[in-house]
Amino acid sequence: MNKHHSANPAGPHGPTVAPLRAQARDGASAHGQAAATTAVTTATTAAGVQRVRPATAPDHEAVAASAGGVLLKAVGLKKDYHKGKHVVPVLRGVDLEVRQGELLAVIGQSGSGKSTLLHLLATLDRPDEGEIWFNGQRIDNASTRQRDRLRNRHLGMIFQFYHLLPELTALENVLAPLMITHGFFSYRLQRRRLVERAKALLETVGLGHRLKHRPREMSGGEMQRAAIARALITEPQILLADEPTGNLDGRTGQGIMELLRSLNTQSNLTIVMVTHDSAIASQADRVVQLVDGQVSDS
Amino acid sequence: MYKFLLCWRYLRTRWIALASIISVTLGVATMIVVNAVMAGFTQEMQDRIRGILSDVSFEARSFNGFRDPEYHMREIEKIVGDEIEVMTPTVTVPAMLSFQLHGEWNTRPVQLIGIPRDAMQYASKFRQYLQHPKHREQFRFELQETGYDLRDRHGGEDAPLRVRMETAGMVHRRNMIEYRRQWEQQLAGKPLPHAEQTVNDDSQPANDVVDPFAAVERPLDPFAARNDAAQADPAAPLTGCVLGIGLVSYRHNGAEHFLVLPGDDIQLTFPTAGTPPKAVSDTFTVVDLYESKMTEYDSSFIFVPLDKLQELRGMFDRESGTTFVTSIQIKLKDESRGSIVRDKLQAAFPPHFYSVSTWRDKQGPLLAAVEMETAILNMLLFLIIAVAGFGILAIFFMIVVEKTKDIGILKSLGAHGSGIMGIFLSYGLSLGLVGAGAGMVLGLLFVRHINEIRIWLGNLTGQMVFDPSIYYFYEIPTSVNPWTVAWIVIGALAIAVAASVMPALRAARLHPVEALRYE
Repeated sequence: MNKHHSANPAGPHGPTVAPLRAQARDGASAHGQAAATTAVTTATTAAGVQRVRPATAPDHEAVAASAGGVLLKAVGLKKDYHKGKHVVPVLRGVDLEVRQGELLAVIGQSGSGKSTLLHLLATLDRPDEGEIWFNGQRIDNASTRQRDRLRNRHLGMIFQFYHLLPELTALENVLAPLMITHGFFSYRLQRRRLVERAKALLETVGLGHRLKHRPREMSGGEMQRAAIARALITEPQILLADEPTGNLDGRTGQGIMELLRSLNTQSNLTIVMVTHDSAIASQADRVVQLVDGQVSDS
Repeated sequence: MYKFLLCWRYLRTRWIALASIISVTLGVATMIVVNAVMAGFTQEMQDRIRGILSDVSFEARSFNGFRDPEYHMREIEKIVGDEIEVMTPTVTVPAMLSFQLHGEWNTRPVQLIGIPRDAMQYASKFRQYLQHPKHREQFRFELQETGYDLRDRHGGEDAPLRVRMETAGMVHRRNMIEYRRQWEQQLAGKPLPHAEQTVNDDSQPANDVVDPFAAVERPLDPFAARNDAAQADPAAPLTGCVLGIGLVSYRHNGAEHFLVLPGDDIQLTFPTAGTPPKAVSDTFTVVDLYESKMTEYDSSFIFVPLDKLQELRGMFDRESGTTFVTSIQIKLKDESRGSIVRDKLQAAFPPHFYSVSTWRDKQGPLLAAVEMETAILNMLLFLIIAVAGFGILAIFFMIVVEKTKDIGILKSLGAHGSGIMGIFLSYGLSLGLVGAGAGMVLGLLFVRHINEIRIWLGNLTGQMVFDPSIYYFYEIPTSVNPWTVAWIVIGALAIAVAASVMPALRAARLHPVEALRYE
């Protein structure tokens, strides 16, 4: 299967996709995860290991030091959907590791379960079986409040349909995660600083001129850029992107990809991107293919 | 923070929600108005009842009354002396009123009340309901020269004129005697002398005011004059009495007409205190009219001096020099302690001889009826607000469905279910505040201008909305109790919030993935 993609801007010896049928030999096993024997661990290439995200990571004790740079890990994920009496299996045991600083693409056809996988990784849903580890902590069975907190502070998400709040301006949309983090008074106190930060971030994604615009006054590309700014405002450790270019034309999509890539290289941001577009996926450091709810060996 | 921002944005972008709140506004406004009017009416009525009834009355069960009121008052003093401001012995007896009209005798049943001549102690408001300004200051059963109120003084300038009230008093009395004299002379076939009849009248200007039609309106019974003729001064008033205004007045073409004016004589017939009772009659001069606006009292009470009534009914014991009365009216320092005083007195005096009651006991059914009406109206109106609550519920569900995706987004950004719930609860609270606040302002404005609105409505529809001749009010009485208003507003707010709880819960429980997928 070993599907190699040379990740273009990341460097000639960029990381390779190497899902192996080998038991994890890294620190993950030290956490005593279930013996999901199908666990796929990437043979950590030198490049992957070296990309250790600068320790901007907040309160999590150690940046998975023992995991050899594994930031996010899924072990034997299973998820069924129930449609009436029928049970539709979507994920049938997925193992995945995401290393610090890589841009990982998960590619698959419609219905292959790639969005479901992303939702599970983002703690928006719970797996029926399997485990998810983030920064050395198991998160799939954490309490709702802990998961909310995790999403708010350490995970960033962007979506195919941008999912901006239509009532808020671009700036307010970007500030929304901070408003969720801070209570009324705490936000009021720090408002000036936070707004400056949001403005700077919008500037970074190229939307400095769109601060006061509502989503319906912006183009698709602009909305996605705003969504990226929103995902990054809390300085997350990982960005989860669900078909980030799926609703954009080729050029605009490419622009988004370049933005993601530059964030990846310049800020060492770990990105997991789900797409059905192999052209987009080919720009990633590493590609994992999902077929019928399993990581494909093709 | 995002809760308030989003709540505010939703408020500003969803005007349809305000439609659901209009019913809350109207409900709150109506409740405030109804409560103010009912409270005003109750208060007015209680004032009127208390104007005539004392706080506690200590009564004999027999018309013959009990002996020696002074002794009884001393006994009462011993039991509840601390509570009492003043006590007044009175005699109450059913009687027949007879007066002449167009030469015919009119009779009607009345309640005759004998009160002390100075009438100072008797329920303090009694004097306020008299028609002569001087009598309202001090009243001693004396006929005034003239100057009785020409209009209902509660009605202001709008009140209809009282027909022929300008001559009421001594002037009217002398006029009547003069007419009678002339009538008798005419009957005797003598020519009408013109100069000499005014000699006795001390050249009062009254003759100039005389209504020439008065004689036509009231042809006189020649026999009625006999009583007066026997007097040394035919114009000198007899024992005074005060008639309830409803006994002798009627409204016609918007004016108040009187069958009997102050200055006229009337006859009262009532039972003596002996066994068996015999009917006795005597003639009294009407010195004033009593108008409390409580129809029940105005059309049945006649007040006469206590000593005269006792004398006529034989309510005295020559040997011991003691008198009899039928009741002792007690005015308390603190009216609210009436039932305590009543209970103490009931315990102290044999109940088969004496009955003790507070004014509330006497008007219990009436007050209870008004209270009942208020309660039922409040319940119905509150149901209206509750119905409005269901409107809010429906619209909120709609908004939650519409905002499903936003809820998913917020959850993906890490918003907790309670925060999402907070958005919709504060949304409901804000709508409730707007609705109840607007309702409160509307209701209070309506109450404040209720009489202008009444007149305006009357002009608009050409129909008297609140006819004073029926209700005996010239203005709709209102009384706003701040606590009532506060409770109504709080209730409306609670309903608005309660109606938003279910949609808010639904929003909080939405599954983020499904919410995000929602199209």
